[in-house]
Order: sequence, then C-alpha cells, then structure tokens
Amino acid sequence: MSWRYGDWSTTHPLPIGASERAPVGKPVRAGDVIAAGTSYGSPVRVGGARRLGLVADDLERVMRVSRGAEVERGAILARTGRRFARAVSAPIDGRIAHVRADGDLELAPVVARWSVRATLDGVVTASSDSALTVEGGAWGLQGVAGYGPDSVGDLAIAVDGPRSELQPSRIDVRQRERILVGGGRSGAEAITRAHACGVAGVIAGAVPAAGLRVVYGDDVSAHGGSSRGDVPSVLCLLGFGSAELPSAIFAPLVAFAGSRAAIHTASARLFVFAPANAIEVSQHSPSLALVTDWGTVRPIEGPAALSGDVTFPSEITAAAVGTADGPTPAANVLAFGASRG
Amino acid sequence: MTVATATGLVATVDVAHEASVRRIGPRTDGADLRVTTGVPLRLAILAGRDPDSLAAARAAALGACADIVLTLTAGPHASFIDRASALRDARPQAALVVTDAGDVAGVIDLVEALRAGCIGQPDPPALLVAADDRSRQRIAYCAVPLAVEAIPGPDTVQAREAIVARLRGMRREGGDVVLRDEAIESAARSLAAATSRSTLVVDVTGASTSLAFANAGTLLSAHSHLGVGAGADRVVSQGGLDRVRRWIPWPIDAPALLERVFNRARWPDAIPSSPLTLAIEMSLARESIAQLLREAERADLDIAAMRRAASIVCTGALARFPRAAQSVLAALDAIAPEGTQLIARERPDELLAAGAIASRSSADVTTTLEPLALVASLWPKRSTSVSVTDERGSSVERVARGSLLLMPTSGAVELKIDAEPALASAPALAIGVVVDARGRPLELPPRDAERLPTLGRWHAALATVPVGGSAS
Repeated sequence: MSWRYGDWSTTHPLPIGASERAPVGKPVRAGDVIAAGTSYGSPVRVGGARRLGLVADDLERVMRVSRGAEVERGAILARTGRRFARAVSAPIDGRIAHVRADGDLELAPVVARWSVRATLDGVVTASSDSALTVEGGAWGLQGVAGYGPDSVGDLAIAVDGPRSELQPSRIDVRQRERILVGGGRSGAEAITRAHACGVAGVIAGAVPAAGLRVVYGDDVSAHGGSSRGDVPSVLCLLGFGSAELPSAIFAPLVAFAGSRAAIHTASARLFVFAPANAIEVSQHSPSLALVTDWGTVRPIEGPAALSGDVTFPSEITAAAVGTADGPTPAANVLAFGASRG
Repeated sequence: MTVATATGLVATVDVAHEASVRRIGPRTDGADLRVTTGVPLRLAILAGRDPDSLAAARAAALGACADIVLTLTAGPHASFIDRASALRDARPQAALVVTDAGDVAGVIDLVEALRAGCIGQPDPPALLVAADDRSRQRIAYCAVPLAVEAIPGPDTVQAREAIVARLRGMRREGGDVVLRDEAIESAARSLAAATSRSTLVVDVTGASTSLAFANAGTLLSAHSHLGVGAGADRVVSQGGLDRVRRWIPWPIDAPALLERVFNRARWPDAIPSSPLTLAIEMSLARESIAQLLREAERADLDIAAMRRAASIVCTGALARFPRAAQSVLAALDAIAPEGTQLIARERPDELLAAGAIASRSSADVTTTLEPLALVASLWPKRSTSVSVTDERGSSVERVARGSLLLMPTSGAVELKIDAEPALASAPALAIGVVVDARGRPLELPPRDAERLPTLGRWHAALATVPVGGSAS
C-alpha cells in the first residue's frame, strides 16, 4: 500500500525543560504548538534541605516555588520557621531544573526557548514531560528516511516530472513555508537553498547520501534522524542517490499540490490534510528494484515475473525477476510499502 | 520439543535473516526453536572514574550485544544539564551503573542526571547497579522512582555472564527464541569441546557481527549491531567511509560508495549481483569484524587469544560468499590471525542451527562445517621455504616477506615451515594452504595508485574476484 487515508499516530519526544504541554484530549491542528519549554545553560547547585535543617523528604513542604518554576535572582525558593526563619534564595535568574534526592536544587539559567508543533490534525492521546502523542486522520505516505525537524506547509511541485531533479534555480522565497516535491533526486545544494529561502521541507524520491552528510554532518545514517536545530527538513521516499518516483506515488502528489501537509521526520511520513475522497489510489503498491550496482532505486512500471534461478555476474545464483532491464535478484525487488528494516 | 542429540532426533530450527527465515531440520509444519537477532537494547553505561570498571562494563555490553547509546563517567567533564539532556536524547532502555571505591558521589550525580533526563517516560530505563550494599542503597534512594536491580560487579567472568544473561533477557522476544549471539557462543563452545582446539567463530549478518572464542572451558565473546545490511551505515559512521573503501579492488569515489551503502542498509536481504556490490559487501564484512575487534580491545578482552585461535569458523554472510576463497580472504584481512589456523565455514545456517540446539541440549556441530584452508601467517626476515604434503605428494614454495600465496591441495594436508619445528595438519581442504606473509598489522597503501595494485595482487593470489574484469 502506498498512499493511504486513515488514522495515524505521531509521537513527539520532548527535550528536557518542558514548561507547558497540551493535555490529553485536546484537539490540535498540524502546526499548532503542543509543547514549549526552555533550554538550559550550566546549572548552579543550590543547597536545599540541609541548609534549612530538614530531611530531604520534607523539602517539598517548604518550597515556595514549584519544580520547573522560573525565578529571578534573590527569589525565595524555600523557607522554614517564622520568628527564626531560614530561607534558600536563588543565586541567579533561572528555572528549577531538578530537585535532587538529597534535597539540593539544580537551578539553571534559561538560554533559549523551544516549542514542538503537531504534525497531524487530531487529538492529543498521550502527554508527559518526555513525549506527546497526537492521533488523527490524514492521507499518509511512508518514506524511507526523514531528516531534520518536523515541518508543516502547503505542498508545491517544484519539478517537471517524477524523474526530474530538484534544481536550485527553481527555488526562491515565493516558496517560503511550503513543502516542495522534488522528483527523483534533490541534491544538497537544492536542499540548502530551499532552507535559506524559508521552504518548510523537501520531499524527493532520493537524496544523495553524500549530500545528506554535507547538510547534517558525518553522523547521518540511512535510517534518518529527527533533530531540533535550524536545519532543513527532508523526506526520502524511496532511497538514496536517485530514484524515479512511481506514477502511483507522484500523481497523487501532483493532485495534492496546494493542500496543507506535514512531514514527521521521526517516522519518515508525509501527511496531507485533504478529504478522504480527494483522490483515488490503487490498492496495489508499486514495485521497486534496487539496481545492479545499488546506486539507484527504480520503479518497475511494466510487467515483471519470476524467471527462475539466475547466476549473476557476482557468481551468486538466486531467484530472479525478469524486467525490461534484464534479470534482477528477486530479493532486490520490493513493494513500495514493504518493511525496509 | 524434539530433543537433539548426536545420535537421536534432530530439532528443527528457524533461522531469521533480515527479511526472511530459513528452516534447518526435518520438520515442515513448524520449528522447535527460532534464532533471531533479538530486539535491540539501548544501553547507557554510568561508571566511576576507574578505567577498569568502565572496560568491564563495556565488555558486559559487548557480550550481551547491547547498543551502547551513551557512556558517562563520573568527574567534572560535563554539567548536570548536559548529562541529563544527553540521557533524554539517548532514550536508554537500561542503564548499567558501575561504581568503584571512592567514586560513589560521582556516580550518584550521574544517576540524578538519569532521573532528570528520563522522568516522565512511559517506559523508564531499568537501572542495573553493580555496587556494594551501602552504595547501592544510596543509589536506589537517588533513583526513585526508577527501579533498581542489584547485579554483581562485572569484573569477574561469572558476574559478567550474569549481567549478559539479564541484558539478553531484555532482548529476547519469546521462550522459544535463541538469540543469534547465544547460538554463536554455544557453537563455539561445542566446536572447541568436540575438536579439542581453540575455536573462534566469526559471524557477520546484515544486522549483526559476532566473535566468540572458546578454549578449554573459557569463552570470550563480543557482539554488535554492525553488519553488511541494516547495520552497514553504522559501519561507515563509526569507522569512517575510507576504512570500507580501502578494501574495494576497483576505483570508487566516496559519494558513490556511500550511496550504495545507504541503499543496502535500507534494503533487507539485498543480493550483491555485480562484482562491485559483492566487493562492497566483503569490505563491509571486513570492517564490521575489525571494528568489533577494536571495541573488544577497548573492553580489555583478550584479542591476542582470538587471533591465535587454532580454528577460525566463518558463519552468516561471511560464509556465503560465492567463492570459498572470498570468505578466507575477508576473514584473514579482518582478523589478521597469528600463527597457523584452520579456516572453515558453515554450510548455510547449519552451524548456527546446531549451536541453537546445543544451547538447550546437545548437538553434533562438527558435521556442519566445510574446511577451507590451512593458513600460516609469517613475517620472515628473508625468504623462507614452506613445504606442503598432500595425497599428490610434496611441494615446496619459497615465501618472501609481504607476499600472499595459495598452494592448492588435495586430500589431507601437512604443512612444514622452515625454521619452525611444529608440523601443522588438516583434513581435505576446499582451497588449500594459504601462506600470509603480509605482516601484522596488515597495512594498505593510502593512495589508490598503490593500493589498487596491492589489492589486485592479493585477490589474484587467492582467485577471489575477477580483478581484471569490470566491476559491474
């Protein structure tokens, strides 16, 4: 199955320092802020329970501000007694990042603020300090790997056809906050230019692996990776290098042009928010073949059939599929929606 | 369950690959055991400042095939927030906490960071603490609400085995599952016992690499999720692309190679149909093994003993290269063995299945092997004579420093090297005697202009790939 309309679920891990988050049951739209918080600098350890002459378990009782609260320098954090009072005050502006088991406080300065946005129109179904889950209905397409932060924007076709490469010259600031469909290949130059022009994200059949290293660093993996930094959002639909998009994938993208869409990079999925009857999709997934030198993924649009065991130039004998390009190992042919590890 | 013995019924075992399953055994309706790589386990190591404790913790993680997602040591290297953020991002499923005398306060700081980083997670990490009773109580107090399990310190073999068993329990999907690394270890033990020779089993699959060395009741093992398939991109990101590229006997630029590695990583059970892709798979296999050896060395495992094993047995993808010589060359390049060894390979998945059975019962593992080559690694000061006797008679070859030589044989073989008193013998071999005088550590010239002819000579010596032909 390639395109599918149905209920999807997206989980958004949160960094530490969440200060507000959407509660379970809250309806959200893709792009809405569902959690926000602060990034911390180096914290200061503030003596708490011991300084007040308390056991650690009693600290909570005398705290004047809650865990996670933002305080100014000099603010009273905890206080005991009336006539002979003892108090703990904040030595710096910051937030109480953590209360240690021994009753000390980790007070951390706020150096930045972050927010996490929904990638589905739906309802929050789980909410904790570490992650939020949103569930909702949308047209969805499973890719192979997603990179960068989640993104939301209107879909725009930026290539002439499913085989074309996304050319940097076709990207400008008019595509700001849109998700560009980049055909069979999007190179590093096009991706970085799109990011510089304010494009929300880029979808392509394939991205050169070396280009991914240029954009995301040498640690980039074939399994994708979401991040929160100021980097482009990219969704590879088929593989790496170049990969012509099958018509069963590209035609709906064209039909959805102008619709609101979102890329959830952690699950490598594209969601399009359009009515369930907006397009008709085939029940059969297109077949994909990994070409002989593993450098390209190619759709098999014509007829293909098992052609028995074949000995390949590597001297490996294996079941083969006969295609217009000659026999291909059957293991190197997969349906679009097949599990890719 | 059907119990397998050397003379009785044979159990049927399903061996899982990246996207397929191969059944070994007589049954067609189902299997008694399943061999899988198990669920990946994300492990954080929190250790004191003692490097021995850290190495012991690493050895336990390698033994359990756990993915070390983060290692934090006590000391003023990073702030509390940096550590907590790193732990939040690493999302460990388990944390191995190892204390040493005098460093408990530092380890408690790490546990506080873990609590701050993992608070609110629906599945908080299991905290496995190796510490004395008093320290463990202090750590447990700081870790609330995380559950703490007491484990023995990983510095003895028995304690390490207990930790490995606990971590493997987290990776196991069901009662009938034998983890691939367990089966490999069991096979190594059984082979060492059956042949009375020290044995190193080297297993490379799409998503895992294992080394299991058994000798007279002792076992050294290391496992990782490096591989020639789903783990291929890890090999590149951990070791660097050039380490993989240097073994390919044709010119290929780095971006083109990276593309192929990434596509292979996301194409389960893909078959290398061209000589180039086969060479890429062989390179990935070499580097998977070499990286695991380096990790094992960092964990203070006895790598020298592994390199001196009397038998080296290749399994998994390493055993399934189309030419037997390809398995031998890849194993030689990756392990860089010392002394004289018999190199063998399993018949597809048979040793693994026998190892899985042997982990529960007893099994005949020796019949699952195909002896490939008797390998002598030398570094002679001047050219030396090597004499080989087989059923066709004796032959003598002069071996110069730096050379790699194959002497095809027929029937049982005896090998005598000048200036060495010992006589090595082997049963009938698929390839023959290989004399490796390339020296240790094995070094490749950095520049393509020198590297490619060198690789070409080595491949030609063992007739591994049609080097003169094209890569496609």
